[in-house]
Amino acid sequence: MAFRMEKAKTTSTPYVLIDEERNYMKLEGRCFHENVAEFFRDVNDWLDTYLASNFSLFTLDCAISYFNSSTTKLLMNMLIKLNKYASEEKKVVVNWITAEDNEIMIECGEDFSEDMNNLQFNMVIV
Amino acid sequence: MSLNILQYSKMLQKNNIEVIYSGPILASSIDSMAEMLLKRLEKEDIPLNASQSVFSVFVEQMNNMFMYSAEKIYQANSDGVLEKASRGIYILGVQDGEYFIQTGNAVTANSAAILKTRIDHLNTLDKKELRKYYKQRMMADNDNPESRGAGIGLIEIARRASSPIEYDFEPLENDLQYFTMHVTIKQRGKE
Repeated sequence: MAFRMEKAKTTSTPYVLIDEERNYMKLEGRCFHENVAEFFRDVNDWLDTYLASNFSLFTLDCAISYFNSSTTKLLMNMLIKLNKYASEEKKVVVNWITAEDNEIMIECGEDFSEDMNNLQFNMVIV
Repeated sequence: MSLNILQYSKMLQKNNIEVIYSGPILASSIDSMAEMLLKRLEKEDIPLNASQSVFSVFVEQMNNMFMYSAEKIYQANSDGVLEKASRGIYILGVQDGEYFIQTGNAVTANSAAILKTRIDHLNTLDKKELRKYYKQRMMADNDNPESRGAGIGLIEIARRASSPIEYDFEPLENDLQYFTMHVTIKQRGKE
């Protein structure tokens, strides 16, 4: 059975949705938990298994409005991993969803996307 | 009564201090203060980058104090379990169109030396250089998956600050140093 996981949003952790059946993952809210690695452990575990499997198109919608420096590192590692697995056969699309006046997130998206040549990185201004 | 609360309150007002927190710093106290701060910032008529900068500096300073304060105390969490927490102080004020954020916590002599070197270096970089340095350090730190990115939080603070980071160290007992940091952020945001 396809994996599905949903985590509710808290003050310091984002809403998380993993819907393997739809080849889809979504992150939304703020993220600055003091132990963000622990929070994302199961997400990363799933991602490792999923990326090694056969899929044709995976989409990540990232609509986080603020994250701290330890989360930045974690997200960057996640994108590096996605980029490593992305290919012609296994398409990976990352939608970086941010408000027009959220300069910090726009800059961060620009910096993240710089070295990501295999995946498709879309800056989505809403 | 040994402490005159009215005098204390007047002193805070005189120094344009709006928020002050002193006590244990652990995940739950960071969360509840964060909620309060977010509500407060939402009400103010300032650009998003100014409120986000204030919030970001708050989070990074709290995370730093949580991890590196040399003064540890035990505090019961919401489940009644004793957790190790750091002791620290956080102050937010507004003066002359600028927010000022001050923090104070004890650090070891070794941490003090590292902090001094790092902040002095960050203060020589402009915003563009800081942005590049942030990414560079983030990538360099990448080889160690368990590293919590010590030092990267300071770069983030320098990126959001409107002027160089001010700091001071005062000697305490047992070879510890009391570290204070002062960061300002313009209310009208980045130019």
